[in-house]
Amino acid sequence: MRTFLYFLLFMFLAGVITILAAILGDEGAWYFAWLIGTAMLVLVSAAGGALLDAQEASAAAAGREQS
Amino acid sequence: MINGTVVDLSRVQFAATALYHFLFVPLTLGLSFLLAAMETVYVTTGKPIYKQMAQFWGKLFMINFALGVATGLTMEFQFGTNWSFYSSFVGDIFGAPLAIEGLMAFFMESTFVGLMVFGWERLSKGQHLAATWLVAFGSNLSALWILVANGFMQDPVGATFDPFTMRMQLTSFQKLIFSPDVQSKFVHTSIAGYVTAAVFVTGVSAFYLLRKRHVPLAKRSLRMAALFGVLATIGVITLGDALGFVAARVQPTKLAAMEGLWKAQAAPMPFNLIAFPSQTEQKNDGVVQVPDLLSLLVTHSLDRTVLGVDALERQARRRIEQGIPAVQALRVLARDPTNAAALAKFTAHRRDLGYGFLLQRYAPDLSQATPAQVRAAARDTIPPVAAVFWSFRVMVGLGLLMLAFFVLAALYSLHNTVQNKRWFLKVAVWMIPVPFLANECGWLVAELGRQPWTVFDVLPTWMSASTHSVAYMVFSLIGFLGLYSIFIVIELYLLVRAIRLGPAEPGGAGEGRTVPAAAHGGKAEG
Repeated sequence: MRTFLYFLLFMFLAGVITILAAILGDEGAWYFAWLIGTAMLVLVSAAGGALLDAQEASAAAAGREQS
Repeated sequence: MINGTVVDLSRVQFAATALYHFLFVPLTLGLSFLLAAMETVYVTTGKPIYKQMAQFWGKLFMINFALGVATGLTMEFQFGTNWSFYSSFVGDIFGAPLAIEGLMAFFMESTFVGLMVFGWERLSKGQHLAATWLVAFGSNLSALWILVANGFMQDPVGATFDPFTMRMQLTSFQKLIFSPDVQSKFVHTSIAGYVTAAVFVTGVSAFYLLRKRHVPLAKRSLRMAALFGVLATIGVITLGDALGFVAARVQPTKLAAMEGLWKAQAAPMPFNLIAFPSQTEQKNDGVVQVPDLLSLLVTHSLDRTVLGVDALERQARRRIEQGIPAVQALRVLARDPTNAAALAKFTAHRRDLGYGFLLQRYAPDLSQATPAQVRAAARDTIPPVAAVFWSFRVMVGLGLLMLAFFVLAALYSLHNTVQNKRWFLKVAVWMIPVPFLANECGWLVAELGRQPWTVFDVLPTWMSASTHSVAYMVFSLIGFLGLYSIFIVIELYLLVRAIRLGPAEPGGAGEGRTVPAAAHGGKAEG
């Protein structure tokens, strides 16, 4: 049920973005670019944090193996 | 006629309050999305260090947010108190986005900021994350509506002057919000805020790494800010190019001032990298040029040109001559709205009404206007070139400096060696004021470059102000400068104090103590 609700939420978001893209079209291309660009910035930034966690875990594991 | 000193003091007062306010706003715009990024990692990974990061940077966000609101409130009142003719003339258009900003964006931002600050223990993780995202969108939507209003002043589309009500009236809300100037200005300004926040977070994190305090938090904050910053800086430069492209079409005088372009040149035009413009002699001294670059930047081609000041002044002289009958017809219509001949005359020349107003400063009786007065009014259409030229170059130079800074920060952070680069960490701390200075320069380019108009091509600045006394303006200006300087001192004191104390430890104990990396355990360190 939880997965289904998430599916509905993400389908709703995908629909909103599709409609936004269609409406903004030529008239509001920079607004659309801002929406997409901001989301991308946040996700890349978040992925950077997660990547650092993975790098440190890998370094810690390598240190344990050597000792 | 309004006293010229009062107009100048009104301009100084608005510029001072706007420049103070604009020290706070960009950090709010950007830090809100960085908070959203940190909390998103917390919710998706469950690692408490990201909650600690969101709470710590959230505290700094709140200090800045509170003072930003305090400095912004007075500006809206200034439109009524110091710019009453302007408010009466364009209030029907200008007021709409400001009202929407207050009712929609600011209320949304203010409501959810409460949930964000006080909701950590009261909301579920998902609900709190939603509140943080809504604060971020609310802050930026707030900026959107303010910039829609400002965009109308730069490129007044979607409105027309009604000679019977003597006011501008909105004809197309769609044109107003989708104006290319508004769009590119909003995205440029919003992303400049992201860059500001990224430099701020990188600088403060570097401070902790230099002192080996809160190392896990600082390394993660720096990594996230560096990646956020490098992409945002690319975006802000791209949008800056778009704004220049738009200005070439809608505000050619601003563009000519930005480039110190006194005379038209054959394509491809060189770019004045360094020059010392003289407004009186209409020439540049000490010029250092880059061949072909200006055509490429402002026309995106090598075979097109833009107009120089000399051609723009000639255009302005023709428009002033066309504007004289528009103002004369308007005066007749003010006395007799049924006068069909006056209405026909006005309709034929309405496009140049603003230029007729410009001439009134020199010739209150337009029927007696001399060619010398027309030339003087035409010369007024050129903004202060040296100030715009150098503000633009400082802004662009600092933008490129920040791009280089973030590329290096991202590289060092991705190699996980940034904590060992002490020289870079010291540079990062000193970089903190740079985006604030760039933002102020950007504001100066946009608003000084709009002169001599409050609404470009429509309403001259000299007739937009209120009829206050000089003493009143001096007194209120001193009051504003004093009060806002106190706000800046309070902001700096609170921020420095919060940064020195450092983040609260998970569980709320021992604020400000150094936390060994191991204390975060396997979860925090992955």
